[in-house]
Amino acid sequence: MLKFNIDAASPVPVYQQVKQAITLDIMANRLKDGDQLPSIRTLARILKLNPNTVAKVYYSLEQEGYIEGRRGSGYQVKCQKGKMDNLKLSIIEHEFKAFLEKAFSLGFTKEDIEKLMRRLLTNE
Amino acid sequence: MSKDIITIHGLSLAFGGKKILDNLDTRFEKGKTVLIAGNNGAGKSSFLKCLAGVLFPDAGEIRLDASVPREKIAFISDRMSLFENFTLAQGIAFHCRVFNVKKDDFDRSLLCKLKLDMDQKIKDLSIGERAVYQFSLLMAQKPEILLLDEIIHNIDPYLRELLLEALIGLIDELNTSVIMVNHTFSEMGRLPERVLIMENGRFVFDETSDEMHAKIKKIVTEKEIADDIPVIFENRTPLYREYYVYPYSEGMGAGSGYEFLDVDLTGIVKSFIGGYYAKKRI
Repeated sequence: MLKFNIDAASPVPVYQQVKQAITLDIMANRLKDGDQLPSIRTLARILKLNPNTVAKVYYSLEQEGYIEGRRGSGYQVKCQKGKMDNLKLSIIEHEFKAFLEKAFSLGFTKEDIEKLMRRLLTNE
Repeated sequence: MSKDIITIHGLSLAFGGKKILDNLDTRFEKGKTVLIAGNNGAGKSSFLKCLAGVLFPDAGEIRLDASVPREKIAFISDRMSLFENFTLAQGIAFHCRVFNVKKDDFDRSLLCKLKLDMDQKIKDLSIGERAVYQFSLLMAQKPEILLLDEIIHNIDPYLRELLLEALIGLIDELNTSVIMVNHTFSEMGRLPERVLIMENGRFVFDETSDEMHAKIKKIVTEKEIADDIPVIFENRTPLYREYYVYPYSEGMGAGSGYEFLDVDLTGIVKSFIGGYYAKKRI
C-alpha cells in the first residue's frame, strides 16, 4: 500500500514530491521488487493530480531505473541492491550537508560540531 | 513537445471604449491544463468567451487546430446560461442532439448523487445543482477542449471532489486540453500545468507550475529594501513588511542578507492582484 503526503502549498513541484515518496518507499523496502504500482489514472484520482503529472513521475522513475513499464500490465518496481545502497548514502549525505550549513550559519566551529557528534554517538 | 491546439494572435476586445483584451498573443498545447487567474474585471471571462466563440473579438485571430470538430469544444460560462423552461430531461435531450451525443452515452452518475428529479425545470435548480448539471452535459460531449469559468465555487466539497475526479478521468482518457478560470486553488491547485495571470486585458505572468515557484519569492523584513530588486507587491504591517519579488533570479541581492522565501500558488496570485490594486489607487 502506497502512502503519500503531498503538500499542495509546498513550493516543491508536486511531481517531485510524488517521485520522492515513491523512491523513499522503494528504499525503505515498503515497495519490493516486482510490486505493482497503481495505474496512472488511479493514482491521479487518489492524489487529485493531473494524469500528465503522474505520467511524468513514472516516466522519470523509469528513466532512472526504479520501475519498469510493461505494455498492458502497468508499472512494476525494479530495485537492485547496490543501487539502493548508493542512493541511501547520497540521501544521508545531502541531509548532513544541510545540517552542517545550518550549524555553520549559527556560528558553530568544526570543533564544536565534532564534539557534539562524538557526544551524541557515545550516548547512543 | 505536444502540438498547439489553439493559437492566438493580437486578440483585442473593447466594450464601450474600455479595453477588455489588449493585443493578446499566446498558444495552448494539446492535453495541457491551464489556469487563468487575475483580479475581477481583468478580462478572464471575456477571454474564455472569445475562445468559446461566444464573443467576437474586435481584432486579432484565434486559430483552432483543424482536427478539432466544433462539438468537441465545451464551455461553461460564469452565468451558466441554459434554457430555463426546459426540464432536466429535455435539456439533456437537446444537448445530446446539438452536440451529436448518443443518449445512452450520457453519464448520469453525478446527477444521481444529487437525486435530482428529471422532470423539474432547469430554472428551479440551485446554483450548485445547476453547475453539476451543466458539467454533466459537457462531459457527455467528450470534449477535446474544455473551458471552465469558475464553476467549482458554488459546489459543495463532496460533489466538488467527484467533479474533480471526473475531470481527471477526462484528461487521462481523452487528453483533453482544459483552460479554467478560478479564484480558489485548494482543490484544483495541483491540476494546472501552466498558470497565466491577467491584468488589464494582458498576461502579466505565464509560467509552468513546476517552474513558477522558482521565479517568485518573498522577502520579509522590517526595513526598506534595495531599489534594484524587482518588487511587484509590498505588504506593510505594523511589525514587518513583505516584498514579493518577480522575476527572481539566482544570486539576486547577494551579500544583502535578504532571505528569499517560497510563495505558494495562492500567494503568487494574491501578490499580483494586490500589486494591481496598489497601482490603481495612485
